[in-house]
Amino acid sequence: MKMPLTFVLNNQQTTLEIDARQTLLEVLRNQGGMTSVHRSCEEGECGACTVLLNDEPVNACLVLAASVQGAAVITSEGLVKNGKPHPLMKAFTDELGIQCGFCTPGMLMNAYALINRAGEVLLTDQIIRKTLEGNLCRCTGYVNIIKSVQTAQKAKLAGDWW
Amino acid sequence: MKKREERLILGKGQYADDLEFFNMAHLVFVGSPHAHARIVSIDIEKALALPGVITVITGKEVAAHTRPLPVQANFTSKGWTWRLADVYAIPADKVRWHGEPVAAVVAEDEETARRAADLVVVTYEILPVAGDVLTALEPGAPKVYDDWEDNKQVHLLFDFGDPDKAFDMADQVLPVTNREGRITGLPIEPRGCVGVYDTKNDSLEMWGSFQTPFLSRHNISATLGVPEAKVKINAVDIGGAFGLKIHAWKENVVALASKLTGRPVKWMEPHRDFVATGPHQRDVFWDGKIAFKNDGTLLGLKAKVFHDLGVESTNKGIAALSIFPACSSPTNMYKWVGMHVEGIGTVTNKSFYCAYRGYGKDKGIKFIEAAINQVAKKLHMTPEAIRLKNFIQPHEFPYHQINNYVLDSGDYPAVLNKAMEMADLEGLRKRKKELAAQGRHLGIGLVTAIEPAGVAVPNCQMGGITEARVLITPDGSVEVHSDRTEIGQGAEISHATIVADILGMDPAMIHVKRVTSDFIGQGPLSSRGAVYPASAVAKAAKLLRQKVVHCAASLMKIPADQVVLEKGFIYSADAPDKKISYAQFAEKVFFFPGPRGLDPEMLKAHDHLLDVTTTWYSPTTPESGSAYTSFCVSADIAVVEVDIETGVTQIVKYVHVHDAGTIINAQVVDGQIHGGIVQGIGEALYEGLNYDENGQLMNTSFSNYLIPTSVEAPDIEIAHLETPSPFSETGAKGMGEAPIIGSKAVILDAIEDALSDFGIRVNDAPATPEKVRKWIKKATAQNLETS
Amino acid sequence: MPDNSAGNNAMKNSAMKNFIGSRAMPDLVYHSPDTITDLMVLMDTHGTSARVVAGCTDFIPSIRTGRWCFDQELNLIDVSKMDELHQIEKQGDILKIGAGVNLTRILESPEVQTHCPVLAQAVEQMASLQVRNTATMGGNICMASPAADTVPPLLVLDAWVMIHDAKGEHKVLLTDFFTGPGRSVLTSGQVLTHICIPVKKSNEAAWFQKIGTRTAVIISVVSAAVRVNVTNGICDTARIALGSVAPTPVRVTTAEAFLEGKPLDDQVIKEGARLAAHAISPISDLRSSKEYRKDMAQTLVKRSITACTEALK
Repeated sequence: MKMPLTFVLNNQQTTLEIDARQTLLEVLRNQGGMTSVHRSCEEGECGACTVLLNDEPVNACLVLAASVQGAAVITSEGLVKNGKPHPLMKAFTDELGIQCGFCTPGMLMNAYALINRAGEVLLTDQIIRKTLEGNLCRCTGYVNIIKSVQTAQKAKLAGDWW
Repeated sequence: MKKREERLILGKGQYADDLEFFNMAHLVFVGSPHAHARIVSIDIEKALALPGVITVITGKEVAAHTRPLPVQANFTSKGWTWRLADVYAIPADKVRWHGEPVAAVVAEDEETARRAADLVVVTYEILPVAGDVLTALEPGAPKVYDDWEDNKQVHLLFDFGDPDKAFDMADQVLPVTNREGRITGLPIEPRGCVGVYDTKNDSLEMWGSFQTPFLSRHNISATLGVPEAKVKINAVDIGGAFGLKIHAWKENVVALASKLTGRPVKWMEPHRDFVATGPHQRDVFWDGKIAFKNDGTLLGLKAKVFHDLGVESTNKGIAALSIFPACSSPTNMYKWVGMHVEGIGTVTNKSFYCAYRGYGKDKGIKFIEAAINQVAKKLHMTPEAIRLKNFIQPHEFPYHQINNYVLDSGDYPAVLNKAMEMADLEGLRKRKKELAAQGRHLGIGLVTAIEPAGVAVPNCQMGGITEARVLITPDGSVEVHSDRTEIGQGAEISHATIVADILGMDPAMIHVKRVTSDFIGQGPLSSRGAVYPASAVAKAAKLLRQKVVHCAASLMKIPADQVVLEKGFIYSADAPDKKISYAQFAEKVFFFPGPRGLDPEMLKAHDHLLDVTTTWYSPTTPESGSAYTSFCVSADIAVVEVDIETGVTQIVKYVHVHDAGTIINAQVVDGQIHGGIVQGIGEALYEGLNYDENGQLMNTSFSNYLIPTSVEAPDIEIAHLETPSPFSETGAKGMGEAPIIGSKAVILDAIEDALSDFGIRVNDAPATPEKVRKWIKKATAQNLETS
Repeated sequence: MPDNSAGNNAMKNSAMKNFIGSRAMPDLVYHSPDTITDLMVLMDTHGTSARVVAGCTDFIPSIRTGRWCFDQELNLIDVSKMDELHQIEKQGDILKIGAGVNLTRILESPEVQTHCPVLAQAVEQMASLQVRNTATMGGNICMASPAADTVPPLLVLDAWVMIHDAKGEHKVLLTDFFTGPGRSVLTSGQVLTHICIPVKKSNEAAWFQKIGTRTAVIISVVSAAVRVNVTNGICDTARIALGSVAPTPVRVTTAEAFLEGKPLDDQVIKEGARLAAHAISPISDLRSSKEYRKDMAQTLVKRSITACTEALK
């Protein structure tokens, strides 16, 4: 069934014509142009399609697009400001928390929400590891990803964040 | 320096799934639910009737329009058993493994193709299954290939040094067995591509997740019958590969679909397809005996290694080829008198075997490391003592090993000593005793390894071919081309660093180009990136540097030996303030004044353009026959705690010391180490492909094929030594596979140490909690019986 | 929370269908009622073509894998927006949790942490953050998986569920809810709306443990929940529930009966655990053999009772 969908995509009010059977992943990639939202398992196991739905990380492949009517969705494209990488992105580049880059956008979104939730509380290895358990990475062994998240939090605490 | 990473992090990656072409159609494969069955009939009418379906390709079309898949490795001439199967990309007669494609649906969109895939009705006559590597060899076992005598594909015999003498000299001989379960590499991104057949020119161009575009072009053009010169394969951003995206197979069907429909056709593989019909690895059983003296001197090995290759049909010899390094690698880093190793490869009704990080080089090392630790136990030696006694010594390089490998360089004792110091081995042993008193089971594992890197062997597609091109454009920016696709291993960073250093340029000026089949080479496999392609790039850059110097001397009217290239500028050593930028320099060379302003001798020699294409071949292989060029060194020490009531293993500490020669980029090297170690941990503890008795693959998703998450991955402490390789252009050694070898072996060794009270041999990976618990219960029962 | 109504004629045996890596979603009409009244009207109107979902974290994978197939257009009723199903509220001695509450809210809820912490303990070990942000309590129960990790804690807490249908609302004890793997007493036209849990008493402790092949994001090989109430050193109530050892999560009443009336010393705990393992006859499957399941059931029950006694000290 075709239906209109209105939601806030990366801070932009967006209206798209969708089919009720489409997942948020399909709509973001195919109609929304957000190709950083990567498709792999389509069953909610790998985390490569993680986006923020009303500020909480979800697997876009497990969300029906129709259900996000009126909600706010942020993809990693939404973290970029005036073409500049978000401080979190910069941390991932600096610490080389990225290898093949396929899991990265999903990882970024989960980490972004975590750092925002954490406030002043310094993120330990253990908390970061537990939070990112649903974002599988086959390249990095996670070590530099943990480091990237910690570096990014330091940037946030120093006021370099949006 | 991190151009690619900066682009990807902004969400600007272009992976296979992101490709869009005008008028593009979508392809979905229909797989067999049976492991072994004759195809009686295929009814595609219902599928074709679904609006939006363009065509359905079955094995009949594939046979009519393509050739059988081409041979990729062939050793029939050696007098060994070496069988190949004559098969097509989709079979018309029978299916040989669970998931094997029987049809491909092409539709206007992917959803429609997926729906139609369910409407293809295939009638099968189910055949008995050759499911187990040993029973498949028994007389009367169901045959995977009807025209073969039996299911044995390969039987190779190797004699290195003098094995009989080794056993004659021995004080003792110890039998050792080892089993590694069936696994897969599983990058997060599956395979995928778009094929565009140009019906006007009868040419084909493809874009996709290709690890080795040059080899893929050969295999696809051979299958389609299109001259290779009219086919171009482009690698786009690749979401991990680890060897699994080397050979093209389903991609042939995508190309055919484009040819038949006249439209661009996209195929993006669902992840479950990638597991069920992708390359598998390991699945070996070692049965051997090791000969040694009472003082710990290692002498020899006699062993057989059985490989369950699955079907052979899709890569024509490349699976069997991995038996070579498996049989050769037990020599590892020690001195030996002789070895006799037999490699047996059996076909079964399982998905095919191909490359995954390690390929075979890992197998012999893991086996011999386990065997040596058994010898140490037998002789009441520490694992470090027996190694230090048998290592090849720093002054002996280059060392001609009994298996013909020429080991390039290194300081093996230094690497082990550094690891022991970092781990505080003595402290750990004390801690183990303290915890034992509390009934806790700490285990310390210790393993050392070398990694043969940069393969070059005859009679196959892995011959050591590589080509690179470095050129300066008229605006001074630099293009770097090679066969080394970026699969996440830092190819672009490394190449940019090498070229920038040689040309005295700002790395920002260096643009490492996407890899296409335009450049010859077998691509990044067998850790050859830092050996072959990096050497070719370095060599091209060095030749280009000579041209720059020559041109600059001529344009700036200064002696060539006074020309300095530094930080993006060119000047005379005695006049550093009169410098010109590379941009100014390039403009002079190309246009103002252009070639006419250069030394006439350069023009007469046709040597004026700032563009060098060159090839590179190992300096050691031609004379020695060494299949590999560089051998990086590593020592792993791991500490685990085993909960003996549940069998759960927890990694407490992990130390890795590494010598990969000259380090081009430390972050990249560390990243490879981290990733490899965690993959090895996955193999050691969790990963296993399980086929049931009917040949059904039981685990095809991330929820049951368990790779480590961030929670299971440990912190990893790393130290580097740097002993340059005399055989590579940069002094760097290939190192991408080393970490996965040591980590798997060391975790298993640590578990064995944790269970030393029970006298358990941990020789069957993965050591899942259930398996560990089973071993403990069995050992407890046996110990009770004996007491 | 999908109603797994038995005999849904849209479902087909998928055993030997084509191997297809990922299947297409069926044609859907999407409904998102605001109230239970609206929901009942929708269910009544669409009959067997109606299907209730909340988080969709099981629904979508079931379609992708071909476990569920639908020939005709499906009326999908998404109850995740219904305010009535989102409360976590203490009503007297009962904690009432709406079926649409997601697992992250369970984990973070001060009410849950205070009044039935064992539920939060189980949820923490379930799935990934992304899935916990979407998956609901009601969905985890209604899917009726033998491995559902929320269920053993709820069983030991003597929880019940409220079921709504055209006739109104009725209560079903969770012990009576499950009828088999993927099956429950829910029939077409019924929806689970709330979970009701007696709140924790001062002499009470409860514990949850699970074991899987990997630590994180793992389906249980065995899960165990234990609750004990101890008065003057004697256990007066014991509840033991196990997941992944039977067609449904189960209570092991023989072991419970053994513990009751006894001091929970090491010997008693050991015997209780032995009896719990003795009472079950699990199957072997991809995740584990039946032997390991029995073995682990014993260890997890032992450890969980011990943890309860530690907590009560």
